[in-house]
Amino acid sequence: MTAITATRFNFETINRGLPGFVRFCTYLGAITGISAYAMYGPSGYGDGGLLYFLTLSSFAWFGTGALAGLASGVAVGMAKPSLTTAKFSSNLVSWLDGALMMILLAAFWSVMEPDQALISYADQSNLLSGSIIMTMNIVLLASALLYVTYLFAPASIVGKLATACAWVGVYAGGSALLLRWYESYMLDVEIGHAPVSNLYEVFILLFCITTVIYLSLERRYQAKAMGAFVMPLVSAGVFFGIWLSARGHADIKPLVPALQSYWMKIHVPMNFVGYGAFAVACGAGMAYLMRERIEKKNGNSRLLAVFPTLDQLDQLAYKAVAIGFPAFTLATILGAAWAAEAWGGYWSWDPKETWALIVWLVYGAYLHVRVSHGWQGRSLAWWTVAGFLVTVFCFIGVNMYLSGLHSYGRL
Amino acid sequence: MNMPIWFKPCFDRLSSMSLAIALLVVLALSSVIGTVLLQNQIQTDYLKQFGPLWYNVFRSLGLFDMYHTSWFIGLLGFLMLSLVVCLWRNTPRMLKDMRKRKVVIADKSLQRFHHLKHWRLNKVELTQVIETLQSCLSDWEQKTAEDSGKTYIRADKGRWNKWGYILVHGAILIILVGGWIGAQYGFRGTMTVVEGSTDNTISFVKGTGTGHLKMPFDIRCDDFFIDFYPTGMPKEFRSTLSIIDNGKTVVDHKKIIVNEPLYYKGVRIYQASFGDGGSDIQLKLFRLGADKVETVKTKVYETWRDPKTGVSLEITNFRPFNIENMANPGAPKEFKDLGPAVEFILRGPGLKPVKVKTFMRPFVMKGQNRGNLMMVSLTGEERDYEPFSLGLDFSQPTDWKLYNSFVDVLKKQKENNSQAANFTAFKSAMNKVFGNKRPKNFQQIGARVIQGMSNLSQVPWPFIPVLEDYDQVYYTGLELAQDPGMNIVWVGSAALVIGLCIMFYMPHRKLWLVLEKKGNNVKISLGGMTLRNKLGFEQEFHELLTKIEQGFDSRPSEGSAT
Ligand code: HEM
Repeated sequence: MTAITATRFNFETINRGLPGFVRFCTYLGAITGISAYAMYGPSGYGDGGLLYFLTLSSFAWFGTGALAGLASGVAVGMAKPSLTTAKFSSNLVSWLDGALMMILLAAFWSVMEPDQALISYADQSNLLSGSIIMTMNIVLLASALLYVTYLFAPASIVGKLATACAWVGVYAGGSALLLRWYESYMLDVEIGHAPVSNLYEVFILLFCITTVIYLSLERRYQAKAMGAFVMPLVSAGVFFGIWLSARGHADIKPLVPALQSYWMKIHVPMNFVGYGAFAVACGAGMAYLMRERIEKKNGNSRLLAVFPTLDQLDQLAYKAVAIGFPAFTLATILGAAWAAEAWGGYWSWDPKETWALIVWLVYGAYLHVRVSHGWQGRSLAWWTVAGFLVTVFCFIGVNMYLSGLHSYGRL
Repeated sequence: MNMPIWFKPCFDRLSSMSLAIALLVVLALSSVIGTVLLQNQIQTDYLKQFGPLWYNVFRSLGLFDMYHTSWFIGLLGFLMLSLVVCLWRNTPRMLKDMRKRKVVIADKSLQRFHHLKHWRLNKVELTQVIETLQSCLSDWEQKTAEDSGKTYIRADKGRWNKWGYILVHGAILIILVGGWIGAQYGFRGTMTVVEGSTDNTISFVKGTGTGHLKMPFDIRCDDFFIDFYPTGMPKEFRSTLSIIDNGKTVVDHKKIIVNEPLYYKGVRIYQASFGDGGSDIQLKLFRLGADKVETVKTKVYETWRDPKTGVSLEITNFRPFNIENMANPGAPKEFKDLGPAVEFILRGPGLKPVKVKTFMRPFVMKGQNRGNLMMVSLTGEERDYEPFSLGLDFSQPTDWKLYNSFVDVLKKQKENNSQAANFTAFKSAMNKVFGNKRPKNFQQIGARVIQGMSNLSQVPWPFIPVLEDYDQVYYTGLELAQDPGMNIVWVGSAALVIGLCIMFYMPHRKLWLVLEKKGNNVKISLGGMTLRNKLGFEQEFHELLTKIEQGFDSRPSEGSAT
């Protein structure tokens, strides 16, 4: 068996052993460098926001950290090879690679940006991020179509294309958001802020996170058929995003005072890790229900060959909730911490908060239902679908129908 | 211990999983109510909305302040009780299980494992095989034992996983306790302090009314400031506060903004809102039909009554900036500051009450002075404001003079309404006001006056109020809070997140290796099990098998797997 693997170059190998470990240490060093710069840098992280990190001295701190990480990675890796096989470095390093690529991509876009004279707050149609987001929309829709096609025509090229489209969508969306961050400073230094401040921006974030969680599950557990359920959910979101932008909600707007806080940058993305994971769980649940129906109707349908088994789908849904539940818990706690700092109390029973609690309780109940006897796969699958509906209401419904302190996301 | 007979079943029920599920679902469902029904509104609004029957039903259920009703708190208490019983029952058992690891396993149990693999190796030393296996399992916690001729190796990963359970459920208990302490011994309320004045009492919602609480110190608002974006959106609200404790100024001119509160004596002081603190307003009244101009001095929140006509102005608000989008709908936005404006409700005999916003400066567009504007809302709602152009620029005396003299001349020539007659009338009014020294911009003035002639004739009021001068004071809306339970909540939150991570990401995985020497052969069985993350374990198990087989292969002697 060794002979077979050796002839084909496997990308996974560059994430393992010394190369993976050294890269991991370099990233770690770079992150430490930039964090140290934020905390102890010359003028301190304050009003400058993103621009504070786009300076020469910032790059110096960053580079020093990276080099130190690289050196210590090599030294430690050579001295104690057993450390280089650690799971966390090989697991995390590909994520960090992805993040780096996204940043480089955004840097590349920022060079392609039209002339400053063509850009103004009043007319933002010239901003490059708009076109990149449009590309993302198209690619994600194509990916959904391809995944559905794959169910009925399981040619490996269709499957590969679907996955590739999804990846392109993720990189387009993620880099467009990073670019938008930069663009907000181009419009006016005072306006600049992280791109997680309105419904349009967080929608794009949600597409990327949902797709990435799905793709990582797909890669690990070869569950391509699930894509035919997850990506259409993302597509529905894409249409909503297009509608939002047609209604003029896509413009970069200055931040209201309540949102000017570093908490926003961690609370909001963390929430969307939760939402995205719950969307994937819903996809797995729908796939489960579909497979069960097909099995009942026609036990040897060709479709069944594509689908993972019922047990696998059940496990995948659980896996997604296992990502989403801790993330969502953390996000809610971060939200409470922000509220404690901005509003005078960590919990105000504001509709958004309360709905976050409801979502949390629903998935908490799901986890208990799993371990208790008497409930099997089918009801659990329904639970993930229903849970996602509750999540969607918490995300959009609350902004549309209920009032409260989170009404900045108002439609 | 002697327990009553009913205790055991109750105890069992309380710690049952079905109860936990039911509690979580019921809590989720009842929380929905409070988000659909706006909480803590004015009672008469509810009465209007639901009618007397439903109002009384909802009120007796406490639905208007639902999260503080005894039944909701009781539900939370029940959850706590259930958690306590759960922990009480499970923790000792779990702690014992984690400590004690059974190495010897019955053959029958092993055969039932989902993950199972057998090997038979020829011509090998048992000790060598054990060594190989132990090195393959180097990142597992191992324990070895021998029993009736067989060697057992037990290997564990995530052995402490049950701590996750204890932490998560304990954490929820801690958070609830922290919340309860905060509700019992903390407070949270608002205080409005006008610039330059001092206050020490907060007010808060209490049941269906308002409660008050005196703070152990005084707060003086030295200054309040708003900074704007170029688009006119507020960028920063900033209060400068001083705290006076026992006559001593303990905090002097400290600035707070939204998201950056002030902390004193365990009380956090937040910037929450702001508004007009009763600014001094000076209005000019231009009486229609009389050349006279009067000055009126009043304040925001006061009502001024005209003794001559009985018309009253209730001043409701003043704003120094009024930034509006002046572009036509659809065109690129074009923000413009229309300058200071005062809002009032105009009432009077025979007049429909209207809400009016009047400006200090004339409206200038593309370099052209179009005279003063007013915003008029016939319903009194902000969104129904419609611009109304007065034509005249009231800040220039000549406009008003020319207008009046034009009205005079027209009155005198009466009947004759022809265009030519109007034109001569206007010319003679011009001459009356300016003589032969016409100002350079007389054409613009003339255009405004003619505009004013038609527009002012539509005004039903006896006078036109125009803002002349102001002295602005803001009030700052502060939120004061003290919560002795908050740190407990944070401790609980940390435990919750850590516990969840342990629970989900460090699942307990168990392996048993059973080795038996039979003559020259060694029979090996490997069984593995886990309760969580089965997919991940399957891969891990297969990777391990590969690793072990490679370990066997690399030895000099022959090996064969079955
Ligand atoms: C807000 C309340 C609660 C939360 C968030 C919570 C959370 C959790 C989570 C995440 C799990 C792990 C499920 C899994 O294995 O995937 C769990 C398991 C469990 N919970 Fe809770 N729980 C709560 C309340 C309760 C209550 C009230 C009880 C008892 C009546 C309870 C009893 C249990 C039991 C017995 C387990 C199984 C532990 C095991 O065998 O590993 N939980 N809980």
